[in-house]
Formats: sequence, structure tokens, C-alpha cells
Amino acid sequence: MIEATSLTKRYGARTAVNDVSFTVRPGQVTGFLGPNGAGKSTTMRMIVGLDRPTQGRVLVNGKPYAEHRSPLHEVGALLEAKAVHTGRSARNHLRGIAATHGIPTRRVDEVIDLTGLHTVARKRVGGFSLGMGQRLGLAAALLGDPATLILDEPVNGLDPEGVLWVRGFVRQLAAEGRTVLLSSHLMSEMAVTADHIIVLGKGRIVADSTVADIVGSTQTFVRVRSPRIDDVARRLTQPDVTVTGVAADTIEVRGLGAEVIGDAALSIGVALHELTTISGSLEDAYMQLTRDEVEYRTAVTPDAAPLAEEVAR
Amino acid sequence: MTAAVETPVVARATLRPVADARLRFSGVLRSEWIKLTTLRSTVWIWAILFALQIGMGALMVLSQDRFGDPSQGAAQTAVFAASIGLIFNQLVIAVLGVLVISGEYGTGQIRSSLTAVPKRLPVLWAKALVFGVSTFVVGLLAIIAAYAVTWPMLDSKGITSDLGDPDVWAHLVGGAGYLALVGLVAFFIGALLRHTAAGIAAAVGLLLVVPSVLSFIVADWSTVLGQWLPGSVGQGLFFGSDIFEPWQAVLVMLGWVTVFAVPAAVLLKRRDA
Repeated sequence: MIEATSLTKRYGARTAVNDVSFTVRPGQVTGFLGPNGAGKSTTMRMIVGLDRPTQGRVLVNGKPYAEHRSPLHEVGALLEAKAVHTGRSARNHLRGIAATHGIPTRRVDEVIDLTGLHTVARKRVGGFSLGMGQRLGLAAALLGDPATLILDEPVNGLDPEGVLWVRGFVRQLAAEGRTVLLSSHLMSEMAVTADHIIVLGKGRIVADSTVADIVGSTQTFVRVRSPRIDDVARRLTQPDVTVTGVAADTIEVRGLGAEVIGDAALSIGVALHELTTISGSLEDAYMQLTRDEVEYRTAVTPDAAPLAEEVAR
Repeated sequence: MTAAVETPVVARATLRPVADARLRFSGVLRSEWIKLTTLRSTVWIWAILFALQIGMGALMVLSQDRFGDPSQGAAQTAVFAASIGLIFNQLVIAVLGVLVISGEYGTGQIRSSLTAVPKRLPVLWAKALVFGVSTFVVGLLAIIAAYAVTWPMLDSKGITSDLGDPDVWAHLVGGAGYLALVGLVAFFIGALLRHTAAGIAAAVGLLLVVPSVLSFIVADWSTVLGQWLPGSVGQGLFFGSDIFEPWQAVLVMLGWVTVFAVPAAVLLKRRDA
């Protein structure tokens, strides 16, 4: 359980995290989502006390992280790949961390096996790829059998196999009743991993909800194509329904389901050539939520990601 | 290289409980010992320290046929031969002292260290203790080795020191103590600056540059200030000096350590890692 209250972090004139409050609950995977520079990493660093909040506070399992008797048993954190001295071997790095808490070397070898590092465990970390660095970071996070895991972009740099493994692993940890907070700037990653999503933009919380709710909050509409489209449009006109013509024979209807539209067309004896429900994907929801919050906007905005199409029955 | 890493089957039992894992200062000490001894730079620097201590002592004995004032006595000459390497080794150990901490900042390791020990200060004190004690032991062994190598060489020139002379041993131990203390000064400078190049420049500057600058200034204050610098204070410990008694020299050195340790500790607690 992580509880942040009015968490704020300023670096000089720049506000990285601005009055953020949220709760991360055990037993589910919570995704921290936002564009680069949204404040995800800074918030995570404040949770484990690496950065000192300018205002507000954050508690882990009821206490500030530093107050726990066994910090590594409370939180396992992967905050950046390779927060490791490059001259040391992976195994010695883990031994060094384990020693602080009196965690036996047996356990070090266990997490090495668990994260698939056994072939490189005695090699110096300086030669590691990004993916291996991530695995080592994950191994370090798991050392203390933590009740809470905080993983900053854990799949970054992993091969597809590794990505699948992390997803499954993270879900399993949550199923065991642990608290899992993981960040990503990739919506698609969140969609398949997280149960709950906190969207950050420019240091503020833009949305804090379940994955389903966030998708649901984006507009869904029905595309209708018919040779007698005007008749259909007239039939559908009523309060709370928006009908937009997009082509000579095509309209988009917001506020009515495909069933109702189909029945309505039948009732006036008009043939429909197309009746498609188009629902926003998580990707769209994200783009919509963070449109105004992007810190570093590309000069030429590419076309919005193609809408996921879903043919209604 | 990535291909060599096999992904384990997801289904395996994830985490077995770790019995009685608790953060303790003894654990932090062990951790710092593991970290110090698993880096090649440490092993290299210790080897260089030995080689220089023995080599410079032997070179000094070989290069001089006559040893000045016979009244100085064999003991003093023996101490001088065993300790002459410290002139250079204080710089060697200063480099290691800075590296021990600045290497963690340079690589990002410090964030792993401080996540494991979020109260932070135990990391600084444990590092200082492990580094200080290990430097004292390694330094003492190197000085004794230099004494052992130079003793027969001096003996063959008719300068035979008494192996059981407590005064000789006091100076040898004093030399090791100086090395440990000057190492700690450099360590805390490194902790303060958090940057390898800046730390080494500052530490070497304090040991080498500041004394020579002061020696160019002809004034009473610069002479007095020069006498209080770590380098000259240290000579009181291993060569003997007219200015400070050994216990006074130790106190002055501890003062130097404190001057850098206090702000380093305060800033470690306050700064973002």
C-alpha cells in the first residue's frame, strides 16, 4: 500500500510533480502512465526517499519508507537500469545489497536464477546490455521478498521474451497480494499488464481509474452508411444524440447504440450498408488525456493513432 | 549477449520468504566490505601501495652511501627508510578514498545503496569505518614489509636498528595511522563533491598544491598554516616533528577529517540522490 498526499517536487523554477495524491492498493497492478517528463520517475524516487518532496508526503505500508526496520522487505524498487557500479559483477552487486539486511547468499543465487542471470552473474556489469541491466535491477528489487514493488519502465530494453516474462511475473506478484506500481509511457503495455491506471501529465494526475473506465471515458460512436442516409439521420435526431455527416452516404452517430440505430433503420424500411461501433482504444484515451500535458511535443504531430475498430455484432 | 540469457518459466514459485531480514549497522559494514573488496581498483591500489612503500624505501637505502649525522641513530634511519614511501602513498590512498565514494555517484550505484539504507548516514559511516580500518591494516603491513626489506640492507651498511625498539614500532604504527586519516580526509572530500575528478583534484591539491603555494609566501601566518596542513602534521606521526607530539598530530588529523565529514554528512542527508 502506497499513499501519497499532496506530493510536490520542484527543481528550482521547474515543478516536476505538482500536488499529487493517490493510493496504490495491494493485490493489483497499478500502472503509472504518462509522457516523458510527466513526473513518473520523480514520484517513484520520492516514494523510496531518494528525492525529498518539496511538499506533501508519501507513506509505504503506513510509514515513510526510511522508518521501516527492514526497508528491502517493504519495497523492492527498480528505478533505473544499472544503478550499479560498472566494475562489480552482478552477483557481487547483489551480495552487497543483501548484506545490509543480513539476507543470505543463498537468496542472492535464488534471485539470479529467477531473473535468468545465472550465465552472466559473475561477469562485470559494465558489459551488460540494457536488458540484462533491467534483469539485474529486478533481481535487486526482489532480494528482500518485498510486499511492494516499484518498477520504473521495467520492460524497457527487454527482448520480447523478457517482456512477456515481466508481464506474467508482475501479474503473479500482484495475485500473491503484493502491491505493484509500474510505470510506462506505453499505453499498450499498460493495457495488458495493469488493472488500475494513474495517468500523469506535466506533474499532475490526469486520470486515476480502472483500465475499463479510462477506455470507456473516451467517446464511442457508430458509423452508419446507407444509400438513404438523410432519412436515417432524420429518424435518429433527438436530444442527446449528435449526428455528424462525414460523407455523402455516411454519418457518425454519438449517443445511440448500434442496435437502436439498426432497429430505427428497419422501422423506416431503409437498408444499411454499414453499421460499425467504433470505440476508442486505451491509446486514444491516453492521447486525449495527455494532449495538453505533453512536455516535449514533436514539431510535426503525426496523425492520431488509428482507431481500433470493432464491428458490432 | 542477450541471447545467452534464458528466460525462466514464469510458473515457478516467485519468492520464498527471507527469514529475519533486517537492516542492521553490522550488515551495512559487511556490505561496504563486500563492495570495497569486489572492485579491481581497490586491489590494484593496495598492490601499488605495497610496491611503492617497499620500492621507495629500498631505493633510498641504495642511493645513499652515507647517512648524514651518525648521532641520529640507527632507529631513526630505519624508520625513515620504512616510511619514506608514505610521501607518495598518501596521494595513492587519497585517490582510493575519493574513488570509494565518488565511484558510487559516477555509476549510479549510490541510488542502490541508499534505497537499501534509506536513513543514508549509516552508509557514510560504514564506508568510512571499513575504508579507514582496511587502509590502516594494509598500510601497516606495507610499512612493516618495507621495514623488513630495508632492515638487512641497512644492517649490511652497519646501521642496525633494534627490532624490538618500541619507539621504532610506534612510528611505524603512526605512519599507518596517518595513511588511514589522510585517506579519510580524501574520502569525505569525495563525499562532499560527489565527483571523481573534482574530488581527486581537491584532495591532491590539499596535500600537494596548498603546501607549496604557502611555502612561496614569506609570512609568519603562512608558515604556521603550513605546519597545520595534513601533510606536515602527518610527518609528526611517522618521522617525528618538533611542532606536534604524536597525540597532538592525531588530534589535528582528526580535526581535518571532521572538517570535511560534518558537511558531507549534512549534505548527504539533505541532497537528492
